Amino acid sequence: MPSARVSPEERLEHAAEGEEERDAVELASLDGATIIEAATGEPEEAVATPSIAIDAERLADAQIVTTKEETWPERGVDLEVDAARGLRLKNPVLTASGTFGQGIEYAELIDVSRLGAIVNKGTTRNPRPGNPQYRIAETPAGILNSIGLENPGAAEVARVYGPKWAKLRVPVIVNVAGYSVDDYVFVVEALAQTPGVVAFELNISCPNVEGGLLFGQDPALAAEVTRAVRETTDLPVIVKLTPSATDVVAVARAVEEAGADGLTAINTVLGMRIDTAKRRPILGTGSGGLSGPAIRPIAVHITYQVAQAVSIPIIGAGGVTSADDALEFLMAGASAVQVGTATFADPEVPLRVIEGLAAYVREQKLSSIRDVIGAALPNGGRMVPRG
Amino acid sequence: MIIEDGRVVASTQIGELGALLSIYAPDVASRASAGQFVHVRPGTGWDPLLRRPYSFCRIDRRGGEVELIVKPLGPGGEWIATRHVGETLDLLGPLGTAFVVRRDTKNLLLVAGGTGIAPMRVIAEQEAARRSVTLVMGGRSVAYLWPSDRLPASVEYVATTDDGSFGIKGRVTDVMPDLLGWADQLLACGPWPMLAAIGRMRDDAARGPVVPGRQALIDAQIAVEQHMGCAMGVCRACVIVTANGNARVCREGPVFALGDVAFEAGEPATVGLT
Repeated sequence: MPSARVSPEERLEHAAEGEEERDAVELASLDGATIIEAATGEPEEAVATPSIAIDAERLADAQIVTTKEETWPERGVDLEVDAARGLRLKNPVLTASGTFGQGIEYAELIDVSRLGAIVNKGTTRNPRPGNPQYRIAETPAGILNSIGLENPGAAEVARVYGPKWAKLRVPVIVNVAGYSVDDYVFVVEALAQTPGVVAFELNISCPNVEGGLLFGQDPALAAEVTRAVRETTDLPVIVKLTPSATDVVAVARAVEEAGADGLTAINTVLGMRIDTAKRRPILGTGSGGLSGPAIRPIAVHITYQVAQAVSIPIIGAGGVTSADDALEFLMAGASAVQVGTATFADPEVPLRVIEGLAAYVREQKLSSIRDVIGAALPNGGRMVPRG
Repeated sequence: MIIEDGRVVASTQIGELGALLSIYAPDVASRASAGQFVHVRPGTGWDPLLRRPYSFCRIDRRGGEVELIVKPLGPGGEWIATRHVGETLDLLGPLGTAFVVRRDTKNLLLVAGGTGIAPMRVIAEQEAARRSVTLVMGGRSVAYLWPSDRLPASVEYVATTDDGSFGIKGRVTDVMPDLLGWADQLLACGPWPMLAAIGRMRDDAARGPVVPGRQALIDAQIAVEQHMGCAMGVCRACVIVTANGNARVCREGPVFALGDVAFEAGEPATVGLT
């Protein structure tokens, strides 16, 4: 039962009695105040009219987790792979585009320098505000997303994140999305000289934005954009395949022919959920991209098919949650894997996959993780050119 | 922020608001502030997959405990809400921004709707001995109100219910005008329509004459909710439109200056139409 209301005058008296010196000290010690200070460089009391805008990137700088290499469980095990032609990585575990931001965010929780590489958020020529809400919906063992490639544009990505990537001590692969061949070339030119960037991954398959689907569904268009980017940069060019293509293998062959150094298999699978109470799709754009363990068998199967059709390395992606999941992709012919959606549930999954693969190499007494690449293919192994 | 396995030490049903879980998680507790949240994993497998965000409802740093109100919404919320004493919960946090109570505030007005009581209760507990605190809470009926015996005795508690089953029949915005003249500072947390209604009061006040309470409205801070994915700032699922452009509720929020948040028909303004 609420007590009787007290008049403002009485309250003022009460407040004067209750005010104590220690209060201000305790308040200043609250993390909230500390965060504001860390972000603005100003003491708490200077926030007269509270502005709560936080410079998260600046905050992240101060809190990057680092561990000593001597303590890494995978140390001493040969996990080195060529994730693409000309892209040798210390281990085969990457983080998938759109699930790892610009690499700096999760660096507050895990030592990202242990990863083989990170793939940044899809980057476009111009800034994009992204799609209307809702942008995410949960599905059985997966999620649907329709973010709409929200990003600050290639120039801003290079300016803001380039200096941070240089400090992360992990190779960065820039994920490139576009709506014309010129768009892709523009982004690659804008980021080719950025410190830390070791390769490009072409998103020719983002199913969320009108027009984005076309490149990846048509072998000729996919080849055209691959060729244009190939002529723009000497860095390795990886093409991320979409399961929405009628003939994924044909697209894979076409982009290999056009000069791609590697493939990522696969991007998200189109899907939809309906809000039955509102009688309309949950996502603001209606449909979205399905990811997570729900799509893993689809991704493994496409990897298995493509591995028999091309000779460039493949990076498997789709629902990897463990070293055993990663081994499925490797045995299906992938040279590396990307961990994506699982990171949302457990940010330590990418590192645990590395540890698990190292343990597997030890237990199986393999000379390297490369020994299992393609082990499940009809010919019992996959030879991809190294270096 | 960190990842910590918290241990459930108590679980109480609070009417229709949800289960109030007391969790021993000293590392999270020592870092937590009112308005911030933890992202809780609903199990150990991959279905349901996404963590669920809950604002701290109590922060006991000395005791190493936090409390969360968990509505059994969907399979994930249900799993978390039904954890028993002694079981563990995988916590990622604390995340996001916190409310800032100004040092010179004498009269603090807190407004809560539904589970939006969580951060308001933390502030009420922290500030009750320091300044004069009034908490206004609204709910559908008495079953949706926070029990007054779980607030410091010195906190003035004003309840409103839609059906008049307790306190004043009406909405929190019906009683706020009477209290704003007294308030030096206003903090609020609740469903979007409630926050949008307070936003309209702010817009009116900003256009109106200088009267007591006007500044409290103009400077008000709110904590908002949004469908969330990673809560680490990477997936951009939770963005809303603010005066500073798109903002991630998990990172730039959940606490925002009320005047910075764009509303549209009682909901967050539509993203992507710039």
